[in-house]
Amino acid sequence: MLTQIKFLTKLELCNLYGLNKIRFLKDKKEKKKAIIVPVIWIILLFFCFFYIGSFSYSFICLGLEEIIFTYLIIISSILVFVFGILKSAGLIFYKEGYDILCALPVTGRAIVASRFIKMYVENLLIALVIIMPGVVVYAWHMEPTYLFYLLSILGILFVPCLPMTCSILIGTFITKISSKINYKSLIVAVVSIFMVFVIMYGTLSISALEEVKIETLEELFSVGFKLLKKMYPPAYWLGMAIISEDILQYLLYIGLSVGIFLLVFYGISISFHQICRNLYSNLAKHNYRLGIVKEQSILVSQVKREFRRYFSSSVYVANTIIGPIMSCVFSGMFLVMDIESIIGKIPFSVKINNIVPFILSGILCTMTTTSVSISMEGKNWWIVKSLPLSVKSILDAKILMNLLLLFPFYILSEILLIIGLQPKGFEFFWLLFIPMIFILFSCIYGITINLCFPVMDWENEVSVVKQSASAVLGGMGGFVLAALCAMGIGVIQSELVINILNIGICIVGGWGIMILYKRNNKYFLRNLG
Amino acid sequence: MLTLEHVTKHYKGSQKGITDLSLYIAPGDIYGFIGHNGAGKTTTLKCIVGIQGFDSGTIYINGIDLNKEPLKCKQQIAYIPDNPDLYEYLTGIQYLNFIADIFQVKAKERKEQIQKYGEAFEIIESLGDLISTYSHGMKQKLAIISALVHQPRLMVLDEPFVGLDPKATIILKDIMRKICKEGGAIFFSTHVLDVAERLCNKVAIIKDGSLVTSGNMEELIKQGKSLETIFMEVIKENNANTN
Repeated sequence: MLTQIKFLTKLELCNLYGLNKIRFLKDKKEKKKAIIVPVIWIILLFFCFFYIGSFSYSFICLGLEEIIFTYLIIISSILVFVFGILKSAGLIFYKEGYDILCALPVTGRAIVASRFIKMYVENLLIALVIIMPGVVVYAWHMEPTYLFYLLSILGILFVPCLPMTCSILIGTFITKISSKINYKSLIVAVVSIFMVFVIMYGTLSISALEEVKIETLEELFSVGFKLLKKMYPPAYWLGMAIISEDILQYLLYIGLSVGIFLLVFYGISISFHQICRNLYSNLAKHNYRLGIVKEQSILVSQVKREFRRYFSSSVYVANTIIGPIMSCVFSGMFLVMDIESIIGKIPFSVKINNIVPFILSGILCTMTTTSVSISMEGKNWWIVKSLPLSVKSILDAKILMNLLLLFPFYILSEILLIIGLQPKGFEFFWLLFIPMIFILFSCIYGITINLCFPVMDWENEVSVVKQSASAVLGGMGGFVLAALCAMGIGVIQSELVINILNIGICIVGGWGIMILYKRNNKYFLRNLG
Repeated sequence: MLTLEHVTKHYKGSQKGITDLSLYIAPGDIYGFIGHNGAGKTTTLKCIVGIQGFDSGTIYINGIDLNKEPLKCKQQIAYIPDNPDLYEYLTGIQYLNFIADIFQVKAKERKEQIQKYGEAFEIIESLGDLISTYSHGMKQKLAIISALVHQPRLMVLDEPFVGLDPKATIILKDIMRKICKEGGAIFFSTHVLDVAERLCNKVAIIKDGSLVTSGNMEELIKQGKSLETIFMEVIKENNANTN
């Protein structure tokens, strides 16, 4: 059993972040491209490390060093949990290679164990990146005992267990229910997203405090701390156990995490094969009668196929629809919350109507479908390449599909914002126009990035949608640009300067759209894949 | 119908590929393409149908340069790969309609073609099911129907008989003969030398990316030798010359 787990885990981990490809690729150009993925991750991790280090330092400056670990443990747990729900179905029950594994003398428990370990390793990286800077900063300033180092470093190993287990449990539940009905992928995606929102809303409601007056930054942090403590008490137990070197509380956390982890692992390994069989078996009716056959234009036919591809993958849908949904949530906030009073608490002056178009753009453009749409063709890529389709026609269909997907969310967000903010004159124009420019730019930029970093020989969709270079660079491009613009516009007070800058952003954006669109359409697709 | 002039294609970081390959396939030809595993058959076929680019040389489809006017060339070709990885998220009829839309086949015409070939390959009742539920043979049949739906003039097939049941194999052979009778041409790769001997009027043998021999089947086997014997002799002779 242990040997089986060892070999299967090795198999699962050998190509994590494309490492195996880097080791064995002979083509230098391809090798360089493959190296980019881990390099991007390392750069992002470095920034994240630096940012969290500064965040932790601010706690020490405010004399709130006691709550650093609880904060960081909660942040990493939330990330592990939310990402876990969105990808657990794809990671634990993925189809590729299942038949081969079933034919081999390996137990279902060994398969589940290897997939759990892979997910754990990925989540451990999240925990390490988020908590380690806190440990370093705390140790540097507080000079704790050796026991602190032991407890904090060992403790990080157990941080992902509980949120990961909960996310797998929910993901499995959704997968099991959906495996018995049609449109499995769509249902998994929709229910997963719904669950994330319900759970987040629920925990926030439970932990909502009585009206509190926040006057200082210290008060803001301690109110936040009280909220988070109620939201996820185990983080408080571990955080406090590390700081106060309370072994009993520490062991209580570890015992609880490991116990629940093993319990869920055991439960899933029992029903693993049954869920997989239900999930992969589609009902074939064999009763089709050829009726009326309709002609469609080439573009319509391609866009329809793109939508069918999109909705056939729960991982693809779940990861790319969060942004558009969040844009509606964000816009709806202006109807129910007193935004002006919240803005008033910020130490510097910000005119919300000027930065909202960029914030909306950033949220809408988080993870565009185009950034992985070429990679998602995978083994089917030969079909498009062998058909009499121009590069422009193939790429237009992918862009159009993304635009049509975003369109209802854009309209709804705009309506909510217009009601909530009641913009006038130029504000109204920019609120409509700037997100349009960003959406178009992000969709086309996504294609450009995917053409630069295609992954066509994948086995699991998760590796394309979540781990590929194009997913990271392409999916975040619009968001980063919009965030930078929002920061720039936010500090300017003059309406005239803001309008001039907005015009400049639109012109540069339009120019970028034209350049990238033309460049993409000149691409020699035969060399891809 | 199809002309390859000094076509060379090499993969980066690999010895595999094709070198200076020249072939001519005339209207009415059923042209067999034979070679061992990794000889370069699939690479050649992929270059012809525009899936893969090539380093040098020219490919003409009915006199049109593939590199200059790829869409015009592809309009006349149908390709069936050795392993039909089709869109598993579509139903059979959705896939056929998608292909027919791309080739802009009229509704009446496509219905007739789907009906005709769907019944011939006994797959019509499964066309409403998702392709993911199909067996390998059914996928192969669907790929064949999708290749025929726009009535191509040139069919390029990679191991077309793999996975087909005996009845479907016979039907496909009949279809291939019919297309050639009507002035079309077939260029296909195969490992099954018996099939090539009985079906093809021309044959080419490829080894390590280079053409070893090609010509009329009748001329090749007129000394009473089977294609299998000729294949082995040619390969041995080529090995001796290389060494």
